[in-house]
Amino acid sequence: MGALTDIMTIAKWEVKKSFTMMSRDVLPIAIALFILLVIVTGYTAQTGLHLQDGMYRVGVDDPQIASLISGDARFTVYQLDAPTLEANRNAFDVIVVRGNATGLGTDKANSALQTLSRDYGKYVNSVYNTETDLFAAYPLWIDTEGVKSELSFLATQSGQYVSAAPGRVAPVPSGPVVQIPTPSPTLPISEDDLRAQLVQSNAQNSQISRYTSALTTTTTMGNFKTPAELSPPLPFDSIILVFVFIFPLYFTSQFFMMSIMNERIERKGEILLSTPVKASSVILGKMLPYFIGMLAICAGLTLYLKAPPEIMLPLIPVIFFFLANALLIGMLSRSFKELSFISIFFSTVATSYLFFPSIFANVHVISLISPLTLIVLSIQGTAWTATDYLYSTSLFWLTGAVLFFIAARNFKEERLFSEKPLMTRAREFLSEILPESHPFLALSLVSGFSIPFVFMVQMMCLVLFFNLPLPYSLIFLLLFAALIEEFAKGVGIYTLFSRDPGFFTWKNLVLASAATAIGFLVAEKLLLFVTLAQISDSVFGSILFLSLGSLWLPLLLHFAGVLIVACSLKLGGKKWFVPGLLIAMTVHCIYNLYILGWL
Amino acid sequence: MKSKHLSIIAKKEFRGLLSERTILLAVLLQLFIALFSSFLMVGLTSMYDPSSLSKYSHYRYSVAYAGNDSGVLTYLRSSPDFRVYTMDLSTAVTALGQRKLAAVIYVPDTGPAGSDPVKITLYTLENDLQSAIVDVKLKDIFLKYEGDLRQIRAARLDVTPVPLQVPSSGGGGFYEFVYGLLIPLLVFMPAIIASALVIDLITEEYQHETLETLVSTPISFAEMVWGKVLACEILVPIQAGAWLILLSLNHIAIQNLAMILLQVTVTSLILILLGALVALHYRERTAAQFVYSTGLVVVILFALAIPSNPLNLLARLAVGTAGPEQWLVLGVTAIIVVLLGYLTHWYAERVSEHRHTG
Repeated sequence: MGALTDIMTIAKWEVKKSFTMMSRDVLPIAIALFILLVIVTGYTAQTGLHLQDGMYRVGVDDPQIASLISGDARFTVYQLDAPTLEANRNAFDVIVVRGNATGLGTDKANSALQTLSRDYGKYVNSVYNTETDLFAAYPLWIDTEGVKSELSFLATQSGQYVSAAPGRVAPVPSGPVVQIPTPSPTLPISEDDLRAQLVQSNAQNSQISRYTSALTTTTTMGNFKTPAELSPPLPFDSIILVFVFIFPLYFTSQFFMMSIMNERIERKGEILLSTPVKASSVILGKMLPYFIGMLAICAGLTLYLKAPPEIMLPLIPVIFFFLANALLIGMLSRSFKELSFISIFFSTVATSYLFFPSIFANVHVISLISPLTLIVLSIQGTAWTATDYLYSTSLFWLTGAVLFFIAARNFKEERLFSEKPLMTRAREFLSEILPESHPFLALSLVSGFSIPFVFMVQMMCLVLFFNLPLPYSLIFLLLFAALIEEFAKGVGIYTLFSRDPGFFTWKNLVLASAATAIGFLVAEKLLLFVTLAQISDSVFGSILFLSLGSLWLPLLLHFAGVLIVACSLKLGGKKWFVPGLLIAMTVHCIYNLYILGWL
Repeated sequence: MKSKHLSIIAKKEFRGLLSERTILLAVLLQLFIALFSSFLMVGLTSMYDPSSLSKYSHYRYSVAYAGNDSGVLTYLRSSPDFRVYTMDLSTAVTALGQRKLAAVIYVPDTGPAGSDPVKITLYTLENDLQSAIVDVKLKDIFLKYEGDLRQIRAARLDVTPVPLQVPSSGGGGFYEFVYGLLIPLLVFMPAIIASALVIDLITEEYQHETLETLVSTPISFAEMVWGKVLACEILVPIQAGAWLILLSLNHIAIQNLAMILLQVTVTSLILILLGALVALHYRERTAAQFVYSTGLVVVILFALAIPSNPLNLLARLAVGTAGPEQWLVLGVTAIIVVLLGYLTHWYAERVSEHRHTG
């Protein structure tokens, strides 16, 4: 109970402090800026973004076509007679002579032609929309029907083609044939409704509306499309979601970061530390207002967008993760510049991790590594299970918790007010959670707790390399996965070594390596069995998580890796850390290749 | 104002940046994004232009054709992308569910010249990247057939569009994304980083209470502010230049390099001076950064709504279609810079007078 009251008191202080600071003359300006923002957004939505104006030069001999093309600001249109155009062929990306467009053959000209053909298609549609006989202008309609695949995602996971190789005879389905009613040959929608739909879809500014209309689905027409409207069903709303949900969170965590930093400037936080309140209570108390604030922002956004309320569930671990990182960044950086750089770096990396997988929300199970995907799915009305939730959020919960633990252990005078370089400080922070009384146990635990981070970085690599052609993606994955694991295992040893090189007698060195390897293996297994079974079934997974098979071989591998790093540290000193890592990585890779049977 | 004093301050800030080595993070970030460009190529390009997806697959897909014969069947048979089987509809859809086919097409017996439209039913797999690609490839075939039907029914049209033949260029979607979005944004990013940096540098003096020491030297308060602005300004062309080099290494040819750097450098001064003004006013990082970044969004959105804005000019310079109006834009930008410069100088002197009297 005592801790709880402490937390509440600190939380109240924090709110009071930030309000007195902010209200001085920030609040009126902030309100004014917000109103301006709304006005400017409206204005920009009306005029459109003038980013790509005048990229292409087009020469046209026909005034009708000239006025048609000049409707698109991307083109600068010159209306000249045909001989002049032919004579100055190279001055234009595209010339249109007697109704025939020809490009210059460059990339730019090809791009111009593509844009031109899209514009022309829109113009043609606008003419056809008004035809009295709509079905003479649009004689073909496609009714798209989705069929649920009976097989799981596992087949596509490996990035291979699913359908069997085409043969001479038609494929025969196994099992009983499900009777499908013959589709009616007529459209169930009136001509006028179809026309209205065509006018509407043609009027949309394809670049912007594709994103904004995603959240307000207004498809009244069902699945009927003209051939030109057939497009792959990628979830473009993920862009919007990132900006709408993640940016306010990032912004608020900046305030938290700054509040922690402010305690450290000129030792202002010393009073707080001298009170008998525990460090964890101070941290939790300071964090609470921001946590509630972020929840409130998300809840407000959810209500405003009329999104299903369950999208809050995947957001909570994201908020937790952001706050944990903000806390540590605020504690680590020595100056505002450093704070800015680190936080920009962190936010870019975190946003990529959250955002890029969710692009593939409808396509691939890999996308579930980002909690944002669950949000995309909820908004689309696709259900997700508790396993999915565990799968996509567990890494965020775990890494957040580990970071909090590190921060709480280091929330004391000598850490907060020291002025050492960033790397030294990071090492000291780690050193703090490695007690001198039980060095081997601590090493085990540290390497065990590094597992969620290792998985996170490896997941990132998976997303990153997933798009390369198949042999390269596997090779890169192989190299990076090995390097990341060796680095995570080596960090604990390196920290101990810099604190006390004398500790590493040959006997202790072997023991330390063994402790690290065991901790790493145990945690790896645990987390794998809980969450990542889906991924580990694919070809990519077999490279990332080779150790699922037998136990002795991976243990030996981990042991050998750490031992190599530890030995190079002992023999060559701290500057041999990186070369040691590289050697360990090579060994790791060779082992992986051997297990995969490629060697 | 003495240039020697300015350079002393600028040098001091650079030393600070170098000794902290956090500037390395900015470099790392650049590399990180450069690494992501492979992802950008596939992921974001397809997002920007879904039809570019079809280029990434070279494979013959099995499709089933059910119902009456039509031009679609002929086109499918002659297409190099598909292998067609004429099948019974129910059998075909069941096979599709078992992933033995990529799509099933059903065509009813509506006459090509009839008054009703031809309604084709297309069955594809839900939630599958492959069906996205198959959709794109089938679209071409349906478009061809639509053209044929239109030809047959042409007599019933009241108006015919102005004819224009556009050859299919076979690509280009990537071009507009790189030159029209990626390059302006990436080249402009250093300006945003620099303006955030100037706020840090100025508020740091206030919050660490190191200002008294600085002001006791012969360097005036305004000179100190200008020195910090200078330090941030120098970073802009260096970082933007690094971007351009990285992009060139990725085989993206960029024209008018010098002019792009000049334009970015001048435009970034607007942002840096705005940042300096906000920092001088608030003297406290949280408030200053908050107000500045909100303001920045407003300014950038507004700028983008104006034709021939500096970001647009960057895109045009990169593709080589910027006309003489580039000098006009540069001139207007320079005038804004001078005005803001005067404002900052006046404000800095006012602040320092207050310090002396108050």
